[in-house]
Amino acid sequence: MQTKRIFSLMLAAAMAAGLLAGCGGQDTSAQATAEQTEAKDSVVIAMGPTSEPEAGFDPAYGWGAGEHVHEPLIQSTLTVTNTDLTIGYDLATSCEASEDGLTWTVTIRDDVKFTDGEPLTAEDVAFTYNTVKASSSVNDFTMLDYAEAVDDTTVVFHMAHAFSIWPYTMAIVGIVPEHAYDSATYGSNPIGSGRYILKQWDRGQQVILEANPDYYGEQPKMKQVTILFMEEDAAFLAAQAGQVDVAYTSATYSDQTIGGYTLTAYDSVDNRGINLPAAEPSVNADGVATGNAVTADIAVRRAINIGIDRQEMIDNVLNGYGTPAYSVCDQLPWYNPASEVEYDPEAATQILDEAGWVMGSDGVREKDGVRAELNLLYSNGDSVRQALAADLANQLGELGIQCTIEGVGWDTAYDRAQSTPLVWGWGAHTPMELYNIYYSPEDAGTAGYSPYSNDTVDQYMDEALACSDLEQSYELWQKAQWDGTTGVTQDGDIPWVWLVNVSHLYWVRDGLQVAEQKIHPHGHGWSIVNNVDQWSWA
Amino acid sequence: MKVTNRRRSTLVLVLLAVAVLAAVTVAGMLLNSRAMETDFARKNLMPCLEFPFGTDWMGRDMLARTLAGLSLSIRIGLLTAAVSACIALAMGVVSATMGRWADRAVCFVIDLVMGIPHILLVMLISIACGKGFAGVVAGVALSHWTSLARVIRGEVMQLRQAPYILAAQKLGVRPWQIVRRHMLVHLLPQFLTGLILLFPHAILHEASVTFLGFGLSSEQPAIGVILSESMRYLTTGKWWLALFPGISLVIVVLLFALLGERLRLLLDPASAQE
Repeated sequence: MQTKRIFSLMLAAAMAAGLLAGCGGQDTSAQATAEQTEAKDSVVIAMGPTSEPEAGFDPAYGWGAGEHVHEPLIQSTLTVTNTDLTIGYDLATSCEASEDGLTWTVTIRDDVKFTDGEPLTAEDVAFTYNTVKASSSVNDFTMLDYAEAVDDTTVVFHMAHAFSIWPYTMAIVGIVPEHAYDSATYGSNPIGSGRYILKQWDRGQQVILEANPDYYGEQPKMKQVTILFMEEDAAFLAAQAGQVDVAYTSATYSDQTIGGYTLTAYDSVDNRGINLPAAEPSVNADGVATGNAVTADIAVRRAINIGIDRQEMIDNVLNGYGTPAYSVCDQLPWYNPASEVEYDPEAATQILDEAGWVMGSDGVREKDGVRAELNLLYSNGDSVRQALAADLANQLGELGIQCTIEGVGWDTAYDRAQSTPLVWGWGAHTPMELYNIYYSPEDAGTAGYSPYSNDTVDQYMDEALACSDLEQSYELWQKAQWDGTTGVTQDGDIPWVWLVNVSHLYWVRDGLQVAEQKIHPHGHGWSIVNNVDQWSWA
Repeated sequence: MKVTNRRRSTLVLVLLAVAVLAAVTVAGMLLNSRAMETDFARKNLMPCLEFPFGTDWMGRDMLARTLAGLSLSIRIGLLTAAVSACIALAMGVVSATMGRWADRAVCFVIDLVMGIPHILLVMLISIACGKGFAGVVAGVALSHWTSLARVIRGEVMQLRQAPYILAAQKLGVRPWQIVRRHMLVHLLPQFLTGLILLFPHAILHEASVTFLGFGLSSEQPAIGVILSESMRYLTTGKWWLALFPGISLVIVVLLFALLGERLRLLLDPASAQE
């Protein structure tokens, strides 16, 4: 009996040992294959499900353009934005505007072929622009009248009105082949002349890009790029399991660590800010309530701008992964550093006191019967914006401005923002954003997203667009923000208060050299792979 | 003197359940402002003495939030179950007493509503009513009356053949009088039980429609909001965000189910004397 028991125990031990050894063996072999495939020229990247282009890879339907701009990779563009967001050339060899700004003449290289072997000519360029103008739903092409190919390598853009920042638009429009373009099928079967070829697209799952062997520029170092679309938690788990090389993530996960991966933060101009309706309450022609009795007072807007501790917000909400925002275009060439302010709660209190906002016994200020109460809106379900709104509400409470927060859907948010501060996210690689936010068209008399109007600011932006020289236009965009006497900064009208720029976070596998990134725009997606062709494995 | 018969123990259980639910409701209403309070200095705390349910990513007290959420759910449940049960009663009575065409119409509506998946219908109505509190209440109230209406219709059909009703008819009592004086009284036990058994459904559907993002907005302390938010933090190991609110929701729903079941035992003549 005794021997039997001992024997069985030994047998069990032996089996367990065998099992463990088996596992260990498998582990090492798995590692070996992983290493083998790593010493290579392919990369797997996890992005959010919203990064998948719904209409496919057709520039006319939002690929590369729209709210989240990035380089189209599969197609070539005329110009590109450099790392410092100035303009460089891709297809173009020269690019010039006429004196009145109404025509742009662009010459292109003559050695470029589409991946089907046909040469890319000025005809294709003209065709592309006329097509996107006719069909683009995501981008504004009203400034373009029509495009025309003068010869094989020269294309002329006839503008409807002067538009000095046209090169920034040219940087996001991928050139499609006239001979092989069918708007119904092009999105899922794109032919371009860019660095990569679309090899496979499994909707809802992944996109596989392969290097274009006939690319006219430097050959991509990464021969194969696989993009997986997954939710944030799935991306985190995929990185944990070692299935991806780069995985997007957010501040929520930033206190975690994954062995073999480094949490990498890229600076962005992906800002969050609130609009402060700069008008007295009324109702506009559409019956929408506009203006706000509290924020109509410039003293309140100025006090808010210097009375909030942006660094505290970054630490609280973004776990430190962000930078303070002072404008919609921080650090871009058209940014005016005069926008920057110091956090100064005493000065904020003083401004409010001097303006007649008297502190009440309940800690809420009041002026002429108006209580300093604000309702801060944020888009429902966005935890970062919700937390920013909550933190802002706490900070403003200390200044004597009582805030409540409310989540709203985008179906009603635009209308409600006309009278109520809303937490917005902006940040694009074009000065046009300043125009969209601060410019008040003559017929409306007020800016589109939040009531505001300043003729001097409008005039600078009109001049900037009419300007024939791009460098010179940067200066005018800066003057629109602050020219020494008026503008949209602290000493100006401050109709928007900018809070933070959200850094874009990624888990990056050790050994992967991600090439230097441009300041990322709004949208935590394709921007990271703008220069995937220059990435390498160490 | 130890007569603990079933009737008495059932009564005690019922009273206990009512007391607990009432306490949660009142506590939640009192804690509402505390539940909305954010304090980033204490974010992501594990459950401890000061915060038995921990805190979330904005430093909100999860105990206060859970109680406020349950309280909100119970109040929404109360409102929607009452509205639903009244619709069911009216529909059931109309269907059974107002003739064949009324019956057909009501049955058609019941089939129509039942034919659409519940959660989908709640979502649609909620969106149509602009989401938020009004949307959820309308959505849940307008979709939960069907099965109770069927039960009541069947009951009234049966009642119509009962000797005392037939006698009343022969004596020339007007139909409405019969419904009011003879039928409604008889229907009361079914109605009350049905009303209470609607609660768990109403609460769960409120929670799920909010969880899916078609209900209350995300700063509200609602159980559905709490649970959907906690999903984002599960992979980072913040288990307390989902566990305690989830368990609390289950307990409340079970309490209501128990309440309805026991009440039926007490009110149903067939089992009341056991």
